[in-house]
This record gives sequence, C-alpha cells and structure tokens, in this order.
Amino acid sequence: MRTAAALVGLAVVALLAGCGEEQAGGGDAASYPTESIRLLVPYDAGGPTDLTTRTVGACLESELGQTVVVENLPGGSGALATTELVGAEPDGYTLSLVTAGTTVLTPLANEVGYTKDDITPIGVMAEVPSVLAVGADSPYASAEDFFAAVEADPGAVSVGVPGASTPQAIELQRLADEHGAEVTTVPFDGNAEMTTALLGGNVDAVLINASLDVVENIDAGSFVPLVASSEERLSWLPDTPTFTELGYEGLTLSGSTFGLAGPAGLPDEVAGTLEDTLRGCLEQEEVRQQLGDRYVPEEFGTAEDLRAVLDETQEVYEPILG
Amino acid sequence: MEILDGIGQGFSVALDPTNLLYVFLGVLIGTVIGVLPGLGPTATIALLLPLTYEIDPTTAIILLAGIYYGSMYGGTITSVLLQLPGEAASVVTTFDGYQMAKQGRAGPALGIAAVGSWIGGTLAVIGLTLLAPPLADLAVEFGPPEYVALTALGILLVTYLGTRHPVKSLSMAALGLLLATIGQDAITGTTRFTFDQISLFDGLDFVAVAMGLFGVGEILHNVEKTEKAQAVVGKIKNIWPSREDFRASAGPIARGSVIGFFIGVLPGGGGVISSLASYATEKRRAKDPTRFGKGAIEGVAGPETANNASSTSAFIPLLTLGIPANVVLALIFGALLIQGVTPGPQLISQNPEIFWGVIASMYIGNAMLLALNIPLVGFFVQLLRVRSGILASFALLVTMAGVFSVNNDPFDMWVVLVFGIIGWLMKKTGFEPGPLVLAFVLGSILERAFRQSMLLSGGEFSIFLTRPMSGVLFAAMALVITVSTLTALRRRRRSRPATPGEEDLAAADATAEPEGTPGAESVDRDARTPGTGERDDRA
Repeated sequence: MRTAAALVGLAVVALLAGCGEEQAGGGDAASYPTESIRLLVPYDAGGPTDLTTRTVGACLESELGQTVVVENLPGGSGALATTELVGAEPDGYTLSLVTAGTTVLTPLANEVGYTKDDITPIGVMAEVPSVLAVGADSPYASAEDFFAAVEADPGAVSVGVPGASTPQAIELQRLADEHGAEVTTVPFDGNAEMTTALLGGNVDAVLINASLDVVENIDAGSFVPLVASSEERLSWLPDTPTFTELGYEGLTLSGSTFGLAGPAGLPDEVAGTLEDTLRGCLEQEEVRQQLGDRYVPEEFGTAEDLRAVLDETQEVYEPILG
Repeated sequence: MEILDGIGQGFSVALDPTNLLYVFLGVLIGTVIGVLPGLGPTATIALLLPLTYEIDPTTAIILLAGIYYGSMYGGTITSVLLQLPGEAASVVTTFDGYQMAKQGRAGPALGIAAVGSWIGGTLAVIGLTLLAPPLADLAVEFGPPEYVALTALGILLVTYLGTRHPVKSLSMAALGLLLATIGQDAITGTTRFTFDQISLFDGLDFVAVAMGLFGVGEILHNVEKTEKAQAVVGKIKNIWPSREDFRASAGPIARGSVIGFFIGVLPGGGGVISSLASYATEKRRAKDPTRFGKGAIEGVAGPETANNASSTSAFIPLLTLGIPANVVLALIFGALLIQGVTPGPQLISQNPEIFWGVIASMYIGNAMLLALNIPLVGFFVQLLRVRSGILASFALLVTMAGVFSVNNDPFDMWVVLVFGIIGWLMKKTGFEPGPLVLAFVLGSILERAFRQSMLLSGGEFSIFLTRPMSGVLFAAMALVITVSTLTALRRRRRSRPATPGEEDLAAADATAEPEGTPGAESVDRDARTPGTGERDDRA
C-alpha cells in the first residue's frame, strides 16, 4: 500500500521535474499553479507540525484549485526535508514547512550544505509559544519563587527541554550566559517524555512547546505555567508573565514559528500568490479552528515577518553555536 | 459500578455496525501488514492517518488500534516461516519459532501464537478496563534511573537468550551498543560517527538493521543451500498444536500476559522489551533451558502473548495521561488531536464514548483476530512449499519496499543490504543477530537515561540505588549475576575440575568458550574479544 503510494509519489515527482524544466524558460509564473504542489513536512506524521501543514495544505488545495500532496520527510533534525526543498526547482511546486530549528539551528550545529538564505519565505502558518511550567505540587508557586531558588543555588534546579539542539535548550543556555541564572538542563525526547518526567517529579520544571497536549495539562491543573516565552503575555494565559517582564530581556526565541517556504529564487508572482492565499486561509474560521485559534497569529505573519524571525534567530544563535 | 456502566456504554458504541466494520478492517489490515516484512504498524498508520480525518473520532481510533494489535498477530507469521520479523516485537519469536518451522512444526508454532495472542490481548483488555487509572500513576513514577535499570537488565538478559555462546552474544551485544551511538548525541546535540551524512544524523534505522541482519542474512544463507532448505519443507506434519503443546504453553501464556501487560504500561516499554522479558522468564524457569533456541514451543507462546498484551496496555498512558508510550501511539495521539480531542486525564469524563468504545472494540477485535488467524495458519504454512528461490527473491523485494516506506529514505535500503551481508557472515561464523539487535534498541535508551540521571543527580551514582524501583531492579540484576556465577562455578567443579577457565554458561555445546566467568561480566571487556574463531556448524 505504502509502496504504491511511494510509486505514485515518484511518478508525480518525475512528472514535476519534467514540467519544471519546460517551464524554466517559459516564465508563465502568472498562471501559477497549473499542476499539483508538493508540500514537505520535516517531521513525523501526527505531530503539531504535521497537523498544521495538512490543514494549510487542504486550504491551499481548495483555494488554488490544484492538488496539494503533503509528504512527511522526517530525519536529520529537519535537514532531510530542507535539503530536498532547497534542491528543488524554484517554481512553487515544491514547498515546505520551515522553522528556525530546521533552517537556522540545524545548519549552525551541523554540516548540512544549506543556510536560511537558500529558501524563499512565504508566510507564517502558526506560532506555538513555549512555557516554563512546573508540576502541581511544586515548591515554586510563582516565577519569582522559581528564579529565587535558581539564583540561590546555581545548577540545583533541573529543567527539562524537548531535545539537545532545540530552541528551548539554547534559551536555557542563554539564561545562564547572559543573565547568570544557571539551571541544570536535561534534554528529553519530545513533549511526551518531558510530560512524564514532570508529572512523575523527576525534573523540577520544563521549558516546553505549549501545544494542545500541554494546554490540556495546564487546564487540568497538573501543569502550572510560570513564564511564557512570547514577547507579550499570551491572550490565553493572561496571568503568566514573560521572561522580558521578569528582567530576562531577549529570551523570546524558544517558541516555534511554523513558516511556509519555497526554494530560494521563487518568482515574485508565485511567492505573492502563495502569500495572499495563505493570508486568506488563515482568516477562515474553519482553518483557525483546526489549527487551534491560539496558535494563529492575530495579525498575519508576512513573508518579511518570517524572514525577520529567521534572521534574528541566526544573529543570536550564531555566536553560541557557530 | 462506574466500570460496568462504562463498559456497557462502550459495547453499545463498539457494536454499532459502522464500528464493527472498522474494527474488522483494522485487524485485517493489521494482520496483512504484520505479515509483510518491514511494513510495520507505524508506516501503515502514518499512511492511513489522513483518511481518518473525515470519520468519527471513536471510529478512527477503533480502526487504528485494530491495525496496531492486529499487526502483532501478523508479525509472527514471517518470523516463524522465514525468520523475517514482521515488526520489531517479533524479533524474539524468530529464536524458537523459526527452529520449529525447520523441524516441520510451523503449524503448531503459528497456532499457539494465535491462541496466546488472543488470550494475552483479552486479558490485557480486562486489565485495561479495571486498572487503567492506578497503573497510569505508577508508570509516571518511572524516571530516567528506572529506565537505566530496566534497559541494563534487558541487556543482561540478552546474554541468556537463545544462545549457546555467552561470549559471542556478549560481543554482539557490545557491537549493538556501539552502533546505537551513531547519530546525534541526545544530550549535547553533536553528531557522532555520521561522516556528514544527513541520513545518519538520527542514527541507523532499527527496522533496516533488524531486517538486514535477520531477514536478508537468512535469505542469503538459504540461497547458498537451496536443496537442503527444500528438503526440510517436505515434512510439514500436523498443522495444529497437540494437546501436549497446549499443556507446555499454558504457563508461558499466563505469565506472558502478566509480564506484557505491566511492561506495556511503561512509556517506551511495549513491544520488544515485553517479548524479551517473557522469553527470558520462560528460559529461566524451564527444567531444560538448552531446548530454547532449538524450537521450544514455550519460547514462542510466551513472547507472542506478551507482545499482544503490551500493545493493549500501552493504551493506558495515552488514554489516561495523554502520554503516548511509543511511536504508534504517538500517531494515534495525533489522530485524536486532529479530531479536536486531546487525550489526557479528562478523557474518561469528557469523551467516555471514545475511552470505553475503544476498549470494548478491543474485546471484539481480539476475538475477530483469533477467528481470522486460525484458518489462515494452514494457508500460511503452505507458503513454505513455494520454491525457496522464488520465496527468497519475493521476500527481499518486499523487505526493501517496506524499509523504504518507513522514512521514505533510499539510504535505508543500503543499510538493509549492508546489514544483510553482515548477518550472513554472522550466520556462517556462529554469531547470532538477536543480542546485537536488542542491544542496539536498548542502547540508545540506556545512554540517554543514564546521562539524564547523571544530570539530575549531579553525578552521584547513588541515584540508582536510593530510588525504590531502580534499587529493586538493580538488586534483581545482582541476584541474576550471583546465581549464574555460582551455578557455573558449581558445574565447573563437578564436570571438569582439571581445566579451570573453560566454562560455558549455556552448556548446550560441549565446546567451551575460553573465557572465565560467564554471563554478566562487563560488556567492555568482552568487546575486546570479538569471536574466538570457533566454527559453529549448526543450521
């Protein structure tokens, strides 16, 4: 079954490659799209990235009138899918979900042969903030308690993060380097493991992507959010202060921005069409519901906004990782 | 009598004609993909996930759950017939199941696996019905030090598994641990042994390694001696397990159900670890452990029961805590999220129709699987009559396609081929792939958990002994080591007092290993003596 799908996929790719060549000189970008679009996800099926891409993909399909084939290409911390993207013809028929992780962090930490400048940003699909959370029976009732404990005994407080080279892990390193607040960072493998560790009292706190599973735990009272990673307070967590408010300036990069992008050199018309379509999609009530209203930015994140997020991340992370 | 009300509601949901159809579809698809080597439940569910967006959430989960536990039945078939584990949990079944098939007893092996799977599955559903919430609390207590203890115990047990040469299996386990270090360091994020290959960043794929070592290795080995292989096929006798088989299997099935159920509840526990634990238990309990690895029916009945029980109880942390215990359940978790249902502590009260409906469908699905598998045993056994050349090339083709489907990465197909050749060479030199594959799986968990524990304790080793659960596990390990050493010493004194330093723990072959204390020595030490140049001419 899977084989058949793969074969069909291959056939489609071959077809696309063939057509891409023909079109390269033709420049009929104005009539884009005239054939099916391949939309890559650098992560496994079933997670928040997959959910976001599939929802947006379905909307693009109905708005543009062409089939959108969502394809999961996990592996290499996003390098596998992103390599595929930057190697594709810049014709708008190969797009991918991008994050600061896949396009900035991974190239900085590893030799992957591409940088954030090898993509053309199109727009922001969703933003998932991070929260610093403790368990229900934690001795730290507030952010102040937490940081008092951290500063009193550096390294004594343990904080779980979703992986070794994740924005969350780097943010905790910056907390120590730039603000002198030193915690023991314990990398886990994704949200599920961290959740178990926090509920079982094996770590004191977690810095975790506030995806739906975490929101559920917050609502149930088993997670207590102490700090939000966003620049301003989150509308759905009005009582939770930000790092900036607490005096830890600049620690706003641990959230995830799920962007839509094509390969570098995407014609302006194509990029424009896609950006406008994405903007329209994110205004639809049904799409917002499916993505989770709280994750869709109030104001549409344009191609330039996405570029700015990636640039800022690069600037901050390069001295740490480079 | 909340539970009675709940299960009553559950059956009213599960017996709905649509849901009945989907549970049947689920177990059927599960069986089929379980049979096809490489095509595991993960790939299938990932592929079918988008199709479930349109159907009712309860129905969707009933379908996906059916595929998952259905594949546990199906995975047995190729493990027994071709030594190709259809999915990871069936690796252990190849030890004795394939030997049984070679002796013309494929029918009893498959029959007992189907019956055991049904009993294990059903008992686990009963356990799930009654014990879900308290067990979920217990599972959460399992932290990094406990995982270190559990995986270390697993690797220790590996050395007793279906092997006649502890030193050879220890060296293979060491190689497995070494291979597990390839890829990104889980704690620092730097890459190790990747040679700048993006495909190696996440390490070698388990499916590719297992398929290569077991499946392709065996195919190559068989191609070498085609005629011989066919001669074995000629004498398939009884298709159904005898009364004696059932008597021998009753205990293993009962213990396998319990072991599988409890291990399945642990995050990351299900599948391989449960079947491994069951196999080790049966081997320890057996009056004559040397029969294991040579076609002991207990070695099929126990593990097959355990992996089915664990695939059911793995739903406990998901449905009660919102924590997926393994990749398959993470996909099911995603399916629920897409439907707007977030699994978590409130699922039972907010969406009782999902919680109880899925549980009730599991009773039905397991019964369907038994009805489906029993008549098919005869059919599958006939597969052995196909000319081995044709069977080999077909199996190779399906393996390659299946492995590609896991990550859509052609690199994995090269991994299969390379490990196929390694597996073939191992077979020729008497090394067994089981310890390597299992140490490879457990190694990365062990390393991460160990380093997490060190971070949490600030480098104090006492963390492993002061926590009750990990303390007990380490005590159990110490006991295993002591007992096996004492037994070995006593045996040596009795049998060959004149030649100290020559001892074989398994004592199956009279050819002893030139190695002092058998069993549980440090893996590092044995790693330096890979193979002793002995030939092993069984098969």
